[in-house]
Amino acid sequence: MMAMDIFRRIFFGHKEEYWWMKILVPITSIFVALIVGAIFIWSTGRSPVLAYKYLFGASGLVPGPYFKQHFAEMLLSSSMFIATGLAFAIAAKGGLFSIGAEGQFLVGAITAAYFGYAKPFASMPTVLHLTVIFAMVMIAGGIWGAIAGWLKAKMGIHEVITTIMLNWIALYLIEDWLVTGPMKANVETGVSGTPYVSETAKLPIILKGTRLNISILIIIVVAYLTWFLLYRTTFGFEIRAMGYTLIYNMDAPRAAGVSVDARITQTMFVSGAVAALGGAFIILGVLFQFPPVFEGGYGFDGIAVSLIGQNEPLGVFLAGILIGGLRTGATAVQLAHIPKTFPSIIEGLIVAFIALQELIRYLLMKLFVRKRNNTVSGGSDEKAVSGGVAK
Amino acid sequence: MNLLNLSIAQMFDFAAPILFAALGGVVSENAGVVNIALEGIMRFAAFFGVWGAFIGKNPWMGLLWGLLIGAAVGALHGYISVTWAGDQIVSGVAINVVAMGIITYLLEFVFKTTGYSPPVPYFGAAHYRVHIAFISKIPVLGAFSNLTLLVWFSLIAVGLIHFMLYHTVLGLRIRAVGENPHAAETLGVNVMKIKWFATILGSVLAAFGGISLSLGTLSSFTNAMPMGKGFIGLAAMIFGKWTPIGALLASLVFASAQIVQLLLQGMASGIAKQIPLGFYLALPYLLTIGALIGVVGRAVPPASDGIPYKKEG
Repeated sequence: MMAMDIFRRIFFGHKEEYWWMKILVPITSIFVALIVGAIFIWSTGRSPVLAYKYLFGASGLVPGPYFKQHFAEMLLSSSMFIATGLAFAIAAKGGLFSIGAEGQFLVGAITAAYFGYAKPFASMPTVLHLTVIFAMVMIAGGIWGAIAGWLKAKMGIHEVITTIMLNWIALYLIEDWLVTGPMKANVETGVSGTPYVSETAKLPIILKGTRLNISILIIIVVAYLTWFLLYRTTFGFEIRAMGYTLIYNMDAPRAAGVSVDARITQTMFVSGAVAALGGAFIILGVLFQFPPVFEGGYGFDGIAVSLIGQNEPLGVFLAGILIGGLRTGATAVQLAHIPKTFPSIIEGLIVAFIALQELIRYLLMKLFVRKRNNTVSGGSDEKAVSGGVAK
Repeated sequence: MNLLNLSIAQMFDFAAPILFAALGGVVSENAGVVNIALEGIMRFAAFFGVWGAFIGKNPWMGLLWGLLIGAAVGALHGYISVTWAGDQIVSGVAINVVAMGIITYLLEFVFKTTGYSPPVPYFGAAHYRVHIAFISKIPVLGAFSNLTLLVWFSLIAVGLIHFMLYHTVLGLRIRAVGENPHAAETLGVNVMKIKWFATILGSVLAAFGGISLSLGTLSSFTNAMPMGKGFIGLAAMIFGKWTPIGALLASLVFASAQIVQLLLQGMASGIAKQIPLGFYLALPYLLTIGALIGVVGRAVPPASDGIPYKKEG
């Protein structure tokens, strides 16, 4: 039980009677989603066995042929999902529903591209260069997030509206102005999009023969820092206090002397800064330039990742690994004549079952708590069931 | 038709999907059910509308299919978030993500294409439009002389929903449930039933929006649909302070910002031509934020909006 206790402390930082539900619900959701996904494939006349064989075979989650490559690719894409997932989780803990990770990701990406190739920086040594880039990326993404926070705090404009609008503004200003205008690569080089970043701006590889770079290490540290910020600092306590009292307009923390307005802006800054990291990862570790057409979506998937991870840093990390794996295996499912967007069906189904957690909790309680009570005390299971499900 | 009338007519074309989505949000959020799945429902309806029109060889079949799938997806949202008191936002995100994957899958499965469907019969075709010949020459009013049925539906829906919410018992109950479900329950209102009704009606309205995307002015489904229109609808709902009339005005603001963008871009000369495309494209969204700062002030949702309702005892 000792190990479990420590695990629980790391995971939650607070006690809860049926705390293991928080772990069991996502796991059950994942399995049920995979089963429903299989039924869907089968109903369209294709083979679910083949589909999952290809999907997981190339996902990097289970050992198999070319495991090293797949594993590296999985961690590479996971680090981006974890970044946007953490960004959503940080805002969500403060009671803010930020859809803005998509735009902040783009802002981070374009900032990384600029400071990656711009002249005075490109001649710096790697460590210094990367430090400068990441500092700039986090400031730019943070500001993009803080705008939404400030508009909410000072103007009372709902963060859902502003983050949606800021996503579009970022997309258009970057794709139809910066990339095709001031930041366009020299035509003579035949490169479309922005120029490539210098060698010193490329993230160092940590697994020889693959593309796996330090982005996964960076995001592990960031995930830990997020947990530390939320559960071990006054700032984090105040953020969570805002989140808990959201439905009462955050009056309680305000009465307790928390300057809610400032905290909202700061929370959105941190959230934006973390989302922007994902943008830096894709530019400095995968694309090495901002291409003319950018395949986004990491921001929106971040919402799903965070929800699967129950908005807890460790949960987000694990969910990010899962989604990164599914996306890595996506191209392989085409061998089973299934479109490569299939993993997003699974992803959506997992989130759907997470939303149904009252039902899943209810069923799990029935399944486990009754058994335990019967064997240990033989007592009535009524109380245990109603204790976990406020029905 | 002159440029003014044409622009106004086009504005209504742009506004219709946003307005339908916003109305869907108004209905369901007034009953306290946040429906962020509007985007996904529109995607479902846009695709099934085209599928229905393809099979039935007329847009009415498409409309029927689209509305049915809208109601079905709405029922899923209701089952998760009303019956099981699940987190409404989580449920909505789930539907959006599933819509993304499943429709791409079906597009390839049904039409054997990626990216877009073949053209199908649609409501924008000349003989499906509502012709009012005698006003066509009058400035402003002339804009209404050749609108699609769906645009008219969207405008009529505003009136109907306004009437329902503020002048009927049902509307009073919906709003009571959205403000304070426990009080409503003690007055004998069946909270669950009302929430279910509002969720389904809201989803069907959003489905109308999806259909106006794929069968309104276009005649096919493209895989990028609904291009964030559901989220913009959500924004219009908040901008319009959770009222149908407000939603109409907000949708028209968004749509006219888009028209302004097109006009400016088209008429640009001299210095204006030097302004990069990105600024024009970003303009509607900047205007929206500007309008919110200038006009609206604090947006106050229905008191129990988004809080899962659990019966006591």
